[in-house]
Amino acid sequence: MKKDHFRKKNRDLALMSLPALIWYVCFCYIPLFGIFFAFKHFTPVPGEGLIKNLFVNSPWAGLDNFSFLIRSSDMPGIIFNTLFYNSLSILLGIAVPVFIAVLLTEIHSESFKGAVQMVMVLPYFLSWVIVGYLVYAFLATDEGMANHILLFAGSSPIQWYQSPQYWRFILVITEVWKSTGYAMIIYLCSITSIDRSLYESAVLDGAGFWERVRYITLPMLQPTICTIFILRIGSILNSDFGLFYQVPMDSGSLQGVTQTLDVYVYKALMQQANFGFSGAASFLQSIVGFIMLVTANTIIRRIDKDSSLM
Amino acid sequence: MKKKMIMQAVLMMCAVFLLQGCAKKDSGDTVNLRWITYQASDVPLDAKEVVAAANAVSKEKTGVTVDLEFQPKEKMNLIMASGEYYDMIFTSSWINDYDRNAAAGLYYDITDLVKEETPLLYSSVDPYWDCASVNGRIYAVPVLKDMGAEDMFRLNADYFEKEKGMVIPERMDFKDIEPFLKAYKEDYPDKYPLDMTKSGPAGYMNFLERIVDPIIVLPFGEGDEASDVVPFYECEDLIERYRLFHKWYEAGYIHPDAATIESTINDKSIPVRFGVAWKGYQGYSNPEDWGFEVKTSIYDGPFLSRSSEQGAMFAVCAACSKERAKACLKYLELLSTDREFRDILAYGIEGKHFEYLENGTVIRTRTGTDRYNTKLFQTGSDVIASVESVSRAIPTDPDQWKKVYEEYRTDGIYSETGSFAYDPKGYENVISALQAIYSNYASELLTGTSDPDEVIPEIRKKMEDAGMDELLFDVRRQLKEWRSREKEAGRK
Repeated sequence: MKKDHFRKKNRDLALMSLPALIWYVCFCYIPLFGIFFAFKHFTPVPGEGLIKNLFVNSPWAGLDNFSFLIRSSDMPGIIFNTLFYNSLSILLGIAVPVFIAVLLTEIHSESFKGAVQMVMVLPYFLSWVIVGYLVYAFLATDEGMANHILLFAGSSPIQWYQSPQYWRFILVITEVWKSTGYAMIIYLCSITSIDRSLYESAVLDGAGFWERVRYITLPMLQPTICTIFILRIGSILNSDFGLFYQVPMDSGSLQGVTQTLDVYVYKALMQQANFGFSGAASFLQSIVGFIMLVTANTIIRRIDKDSSLM
Repeated sequence: MKKKMIMQAVLMMCAVFLLQGCAKKDSGDTVNLRWITYQASDVPLDAKEVVAAANAVSKEKTGVTVDLEFQPKEKMNLIMASGEYYDMIFTSSWINDYDRNAAAGLYYDITDLVKEETPLLYSSVDPYWDCASVNGRIYAVPVLKDMGAEDMFRLNADYFEKEKGMVIPERMDFKDIEPFLKAYKEDYPDKYPLDMTKSGPAGYMNFLERIVDPIIVLPFGEGDEASDVVPFYECEDLIERYRLFHKWYEAGYIHPDAATIESTINDKSIPVRFGVAWKGYQGYSNPEDWGFEVKTSIYDGPFLSRSSEQGAMFAVCAACSKERAKACLKYLELLSTDREFRDILAYGIEGKHFEYLENGTVIRTRTGTDRYNTKLFQTGSDVIASVESVSRAIPTDPDQWKKVYEEYRTDGIYSETGSFAYDPKGYENVISALQAIYSNYASELLTGTSDPDEVIPEIRKKMEDAGMDELLFDVRRQLKEWRSREKEAGRK
């Protein structure tokens, strides 16, 4: 009787996850054969299928397809930008939302809390193109708000889109502004699920706000933070194309501080549809991400088994 | 019970797929072609209806009908790369790269077929077959349109002529626009008289043959004047233009944020714009579009380069059988000899999408502009189609193409290497790296934002690091081989 019950339960659960499973098989596992693009000189023969063209008709290329990445003397700068912005966004993408989530839980007015949440999440739903124009409304040379303020204060206007020195800040601030609200919700949920009695007994023992945060909230949040950290570090070589291409409006003067790997690949391959080269670039991103992810996970597992993913 | 239902569903799906497979089959004697053409964004709403009307005619006359598909650039790249079956496809120097695809053997070699089977088509395109030649063979039919590029300014005549009493000549030198810009700036110090976006002036490289677009160029010139291929940064004429742009930028004639502006189409107040068209082109001049009279003044051209002549072409898939290739050519032949038939695909259905004016030109109706507003080159030749008038009040000259082609013959500046196609094999990685560097600087050079005398040395350094010299060496080697082949063939 009991066995039957479990079998039925398992079957039902399996059935429920079936759509997601099919989705993953179709769109994540089957297309994996595309990895071969990175190692082939893709030469299609018309009238023959993609699979045959890729595996039979195309000769092996070894690592040739990767060479367009190292051809450019800008590459060290590009890699630096990618790693710099990603590390910063992982760091700030955890610290800022956690901080705000902790503060928000201390607010007792539900309606105020809801309003704050809504206002903070809103930017997440704007597309980068729109955000790009919002930023432009601030920074345009003639009509921009920032230059109006500068003029009003008696200083001379700045050509923002030709002044790379400011853009590391502008990009980081834009990124935090856009992503914080959404990330915060995850932490807010985790905090809500912490057993209230822990806080009550801490208060009885005379713990202040910061002590409660330090000894209860943060330790209880640790698994969530670790999970998100591990997932983020898996995409360490990827970058948000919208942020680095749309927001600076593809301005040439700024390329020194805005060009990341994705932007470079786009610019290099915009004119020609070279599947081998783009395959090579994304293979590199995936493999580095994979190594980083596994390493981070292993280290975290050594320290605290419960916080790791696998 | 349940199993039965699932089985039924599966069978239904199979049947649907089978039927879909059948739909493409030809019925009886008519051959139905899958024809893919370029469309930047939305498919014209009445496309199906128009194609059906065209099919009714072509079925009777040649026994060929088409499934015309309008596809964007990315989709066309995918179709080419995945080996998907089609019969005819749009190819050019700017979308779905002809030279590369032809060299890779993706298109049907029509050199002999077009002469034997469709002599009328062959003679109608003559003498423009050169631009379709890759290693001496022909893989596509060039579409006859504005084969040469004439670069022009479009000026607000109400302001400059009536208000300021200036004269807009039919031709001027590029730098002669400066007094016009200056006059406007003096009247409106807060405005910017010269239209400029991040992609730069339209056709700014038309006066060069682009061997590797846009980084290796060959200045026009004949005989002893013909120079060798050079990187764009060594082309003095081009740099001179950059300097002018920078001067105008500093003087406030160009918007300070031009290098980041996508489009200025909504700002109707800009009095000087760039254009690329042909002599007698009326499309820029509709006063309803602008709210003032527009006069054009040509400053360059007509230049006939390989890339300008390759503006639009139709190629047959290499996987086609000889029969189907023949059918494609027959269809194109009808399209380039029968004006009435051509007008259907060009403008739509008479009475609904367009009407004929008394002088033989065509005017689109409201329905036509809203529901079937394609560019002529998307569906065939401009020259055979009736000429379009933009308004009833000012009908266009119905014989304008005769005059344009006459001008090409007499005043045309021809590229010396019209039938040379560079094969980038082995250097694609260098080209990619160079194109990435180019795109980092292009907008700011073209809009005058950066000073060429500062930036060009920087670009040169970066491009040389990325392998410009190797690429240049290979281009020169191939060009030399091509020249000696041409000499052997006795063409030069």
